Amino acid sequence: MSTIVARQPLPESRSSTGFRLAMLLPGGLVTFFLILFALGLVVFLALRGNDGSLLGAGFTFANFITVASDPLYWTVTLRSLAIAGLVTLATVVTAYPVAYYLAFHARRRRGLLLFLVTLPFWTSYLLRVFAWKIVLAYNGVLNSALIESGIWSEPTLAFLNTPAAVVVTLAHAYAPFAILPIYVALDTIPKSLLEAASDLGARPFTSFRRVVLPNSMPGVLAAALVVFVPTVGDYVTPALVGGPASTMIGSLIQAQFGKANDWPFGAALAVAVMLVILAVVLVVRSADRRFGSRI
Amino acid sequence: MAFDLKSINRKTVQAGLAAFALALSSTVALAADKLQYFTWSGYELPDFNKSFLAAHPDGVEASMFGDDDDAFTKVKAGFRPDVAHPCYDKVARWNKEGLLQPIDTKRIKNWDSIFPVFKNLPDLQAGDGKVWMVPWDWGNTSILYRTDLVKNPEPSWNLLWDKQYAGRMATIDAVHDTPVVAALLAGVNPFDMTPEQMEKVAEKLREQRPLISNYTTDMTSVEQALASGQLVAAMTWNASATSLKKQGVPVEFMKPREGMLTWACGFVLLKDAKNVDLAYDFINSRLETDSGKYLIQAYGYGSSNSSAFAAVPKEELEKLQLPSDPEVMLKTTVFTGPMKQNDELAKMFEKVKAGG
Repeated sequence: MSTIVARQPLPESRSSTGFRLAMLLPGGLVTFFLILFALGLVVFLALRGNDGSLLGAGFTFANFITVASDPLYWTVTLRSLAIAGLVTLATVVTAYPVAYYLAFHARRRRGLLLFLVTLPFWTSYLLRVFAWKIVLAYNGVLNSALIESGIWSEPTLAFLNTPAAVVVTLAHAYAPFAILPIYVALDTIPKSLLEAASDLGARPFTSFRRVVLPNSMPGVLAAALVVFVPTVGDYVTPALVGGPASTMIGSLIQAQFGKANDWPFGAALAVAVMLVILAVVLVVRSADRRFGSRI
Repeated sequence: MAFDLKSINRKTVQAGLAAFALALSSTVALAADKLQYFTWSGYELPDFNKSFLAAHPDGVEASMFGDDDDAFTKVKAGFRPDVAHPCYDKVARWNKEGLLQPIDTKRIKNWDSIFPVFKNLPDLQAGDGKVWMVPWDWGNTSILYRTDLVKNPEPSWNLLWDKQYAGRMATIDAVHDTPVVAALLAGVNPFDMTPEQMEKVAEKLREQRPLISNYTTDMTSVEQALASGQLVAAMTWNASATSLKKQGVPVEFMKPREGMLTWACGFVLLKDAKNVDLAYDFINSRLETDSGKYLIQAYGYGSSNSSAFAAVPKEELEKLQLPSDPEVMLKTTVFTGPMKQNDELAKMFEKVKAGG
């Protein structure tokens, strides 16, 4: 064991300040133009009235009042949160064992397995959605297998065009996003902690519950966030594998910018959804702080 | 990790980047001399403009849309093709937004052989021998159903509201199709309605929603679902009927007593078009007899060009349920013209689809 010595900060030279500014510049530009400016534009648009033109006219809160007062938007938002919540749950629960295996048991195969985890990303997202369509369709893989094996006598319509199909497809698509952060969290747990646990007589399950799980919670929460936030607003997947009962808020926003031709209202919906997601994230963070993850 | 990034030769990366940049710049340069054509998916086929491609090899760059309302917003937001292909009911809207420039009919070689019923459509007239749109294709919207799974249905749009077939029907996700039919069934004029009447249409659409497997403009999926038996009936255009019949699927394109919907689409020239001469060549090529003949035979849609009909045998037209004179067709069908409350209807339809 070595003692840790606090390093003295190096004296700032002019060239290092210049270097630091140069390194911050690209990130700063991207943040300002692509994120803050775009966000500002959306908020601006959300406060405009729709007159069919690109940027609307006048200033009004009418869009937000409509969003808040029409129960439909609440229903659809809640439905999106529920679907995204289920997707997150399914993704994290299935990703955890994979990450656990990668971190503790894969040894020399780790590189190969990590490569296999990212392999689906080599194909387009749409292709992966269509692959699920082939599996879940009326004359698809799953139905054919069930009929061949004599479990069912007639193909069922219950797979495709349902909210369940959306959950399965999204959970598959986002799996690597959950596996990687959990794997990193598990991999950074000091092995000495596990050794200490078994030295003190903890059974494997106890040391998992008391040492591994709490220490990996930051990774689990990061994974949950990375999966939850983009899936709330997804609209491609429900359009392709979900029926009318799985219309999500993303589809409604897209329709305002497309067919319905009301950009200000679409922007207001987008801002409202952003606020809802922000609220959910804050609740999760405070819960995490209260119930403690990494001790 | 199995990959060692350091082992990748830096020069290889640089060379790759340079090649990529070069490829990018050359495609940009080429694209400027090509005609930019914005159309419905399936309408970009080279067979529709053979003579144009003979004169200008590789001269078209096509982008596709699934619905002309979406196309409108894309163009409004700054997408600038040379030629686009919306339908008649949208022309006034594109025009109002100042997106179009008039097309000189003197430069359209086959203008005289276009059916007068299309040439004289009110929203096309730009005065002084000019038009806002050159009509090219027309067709019908109706119910395509499996004759073995739906036995002798009443010839009515009400089939798409029949609870017997809940979950096994699909309908078109476009304002000028499903809401128009709902209005016809609710006894409301689809093209001009009061807010109370719109509520009636919404009620009709709400009644239909739980029975529908999905709202879509993806006709390939609908055709596959009809062929597999997942769907027993769906609202489609003629092309789906033609294609499934060719595959030997037992289907019939219904003649509802409320009337099929008839639509007409065509080419518009965008105001900021960079390749105006190419655009005229392109439109002329598409109006040739051969092009129209291909449209009739491959898709089962009508051509706006009367000479194309003369080139197709009578029996074939009968099989396709296409009379050689669109005026005969229009006596029994509902022509989808401009809808005064298009945007309000679109909003209402979106809400109903989402469950409101």
